[in-house]
Amino acid sequence: MTFNQPPPYSPRVVMAKTSLDGHWRGITIVEHALREAGFEIVLLGMATRDEIMSAVIQEDPDLVGLNVGGRLDLVLSLVDEIAKLESPPPVIVGGIITPSAKRTLEALGVDAFPPGSKLTSIVEAAKRLTNFN
Amino acid sequence: MADEIRRTTSGIELKPIYGYGDIPEGHRELLSTSPGEPPYLRGAYPKMYRTKPWRIFQLSGFGNPIDESERIKFLLSHGESGFLMEHDRMTADHLYDVDNPEVLARSGDVGLTGAVILSIRDFATILDGIDIENTYAHAGGAVVQHGPFANACYWNVAASRGIDLKRLAGTGQSDFNLTYLGCIAKEQIPPRDGLRLNLDLIEFCHRNLPRWVPVSIAAYNGADSGLNAKEELGLLMANAKEYLDGIVERGNIEVAQVARSIGGINLRTSMDIFEDIAKLRAARVMWSRMLKERYGVDDERARQLRIHVVTAGSAMTYQQPLNNIVRGTLMALAAVLGGAQSLGVSGYDEAITIPSEHAHQMSLRIQQILQNESNLTSVVDPLGGSYLIESLTGQLVEEGFGVFDEIVAQGGYIATLESGWLYRRAVAGSNEAAYDIETNRVAKVGVNCFMDDVSPYEIEAFEAPRDAFDNAMERLVDLRATRDQKVLRDALVGLEEACVSSSNIMPAMMAATEAEVSLGEIGAVFRSSFGSWEVPFDF
Repeated sequence: MTFNQPPPYSPRVVMAKTSLDGHWRGITIVEHALREAGFEIVLLGMATRDEIMSAVIQEDPDLVGLNVGGRLDLVLSLVDEIAKLESPPPVIVGGIITPSAKRTLEALGVDAFPPGSKLTSIVEAAKRLTNFN
Repeated sequence: MADEIRRTTSGIELKPIYGYGDIPEGHRELLSTSPGEPPYLRGAYPKMYRTKPWRIFQLSGFGNPIDESERIKFLLSHGESGFLMEHDRMTADHLYDVDNPEVLARSGDVGLTGAVILSIRDFATILDGIDIENTYAHAGGAVVQHGPFANACYWNVAASRGIDLKRLAGTGQSDFNLTYLGCIAKEQIPPRDGLRLNLDLIEFCHRNLPRWVPVSIAAYNGADSGLNAKEELGLLMANAKEYLDGIVERGNIEVAQVARSIGGINLRTSMDIFEDIAKLRAARVMWSRMLKERYGVDDERARQLRIHVVTAGSAMTYQQPLNNIVRGTLMALAAVLGGAQSLGVSGYDEAITIPSEHAHQMSLRIQQILQNESNLTSVVDPLGGSYLIESLTGQLVEEGFGVFDEIVAQGGYIATLESGWLYRRAVAGSNEAAYDIETNRVAKVGVNCFMDDVSPYEIEAFEAPRDAFDNAMERLVDLRATRDQKVLRDALVGLEEACVSSSNIMPAMMAATEAEVSLGEIGAVFRSSFGSWEVPFDF
């Protein structure tokens, strides 16, 4: 799958599953689309809030992509924690996001991609948020 | 519109018109066979739904044990004819108690995907007031390492009610395709040890629960992970071959008897309904042929495959969710035309949440309308002899065996897990399916065509009760304080010894669950005995 020309550098994305639900299909499709578009992906798999935060601090990513397979609590607290960093990377969220959870996230300025979202729209958001065109 | 080449999802070219000449030669001779006779092309039973309506069999569970119990009773009282227990994915799949640090770190998610079932006490709560002696059940234990615990708890509850286990009917699952391919837990015992547990279950049921399906292969989980119809069939047979070969190697039971017990399997129907109808018919032919040709089994019942169908969860859309009622109906129709023995229809809210009570009820009503308002049940294999369906069936038998041979040539099902081959196939298929929708090669109403800016019928997302975690913590504390510690210790030692020996673990698992062992304690024994599986693939 190709989304435009590959960029001259690779913005780095830390991706993680916040829940303990082991279905990998959704996050893998998004990971694949972002790689194809030239992003470098650090995939954490199922990770706790602390594990995700240390990866974000260590990897200094241009973007954080969270997969939600449960309630929003954990994602909201991560958005909060990440915002407290000195130069916080933007966060996007994908997965099983109810319509009301989507509104909650968007009110916080977080792009949310429920099932059926176009991959091109995810890639476009990732490019916009990392100032990459 | 240009009349371009059309294909089934697995890539078989579809012609505008079919005739007798399109039926593969080797398949033609099967057209004169009867339903209820090998190779069961036309159906597992002679009169099919006239005498045996398909079982309405929906997955159900969330929140606290009492929530799951109430939902099961609701479904049974509305016409469900069996029930499937769904355990909380966070705790059950990983064999974690609710106070495991991994669970504590995500406590808000507990109980969202199934009821939190920590010990036999929770089983007793769920099953209280349900006539399990006369109702066919799936005890949960979808994941391999969870199967022995879930089944043993269920059987012990039955035994405590005075039910003769030799007469108890139902099914376990312990599915390799979910466990090692579609839904990989953070900690999971390696596949070779998983195979040992499944063989233990098969042998234990053979001796003690002859009417129980000890393990049920769910090729569904391969299909919903990205594999196509040919691969789903090849995977099913290769998976069965691991069990049959393992039993032959142990030498304790006749292979025909094992084939009977594990011949209750699960396939998926999706929106490609002709291919899926053909797939169910092809699966029966392949099962019958494999047993005869590879294992020399003549026993007719052993060669008679019974199929549970679940409609594709992945076909259900988040956008315009009420459209999913139509999708559910079409996929259910495919299952019936393919001759399924039992059926679960995904909820119309599948892409958003676990089913609300209303979505669950709709899944029943779809099946009841099909069973009662049409003549669907009056004629056996109504599409038998259709040039198209027989052409597809014949091709899928050939190509399904092609995938099977490819897997066997690499050393078998587990070898293809260990080499990463199976993951690569699934990921490739999954990416391809996403690409097809992305580029409008495959239409998805509401997703890539006929979209709404604002959906006129947004639905409320069902949410499991928030108190599931707190209540589970309370039950765990109470459990630990009120068990007979000596009995428990002895039982756990017995289980440890069984795990590291070559004896069957199930007697020790029965004793441990009766001694009120917790899920996490079983997990600890398994992890120390077997270690944890390293998935040989970087997603």
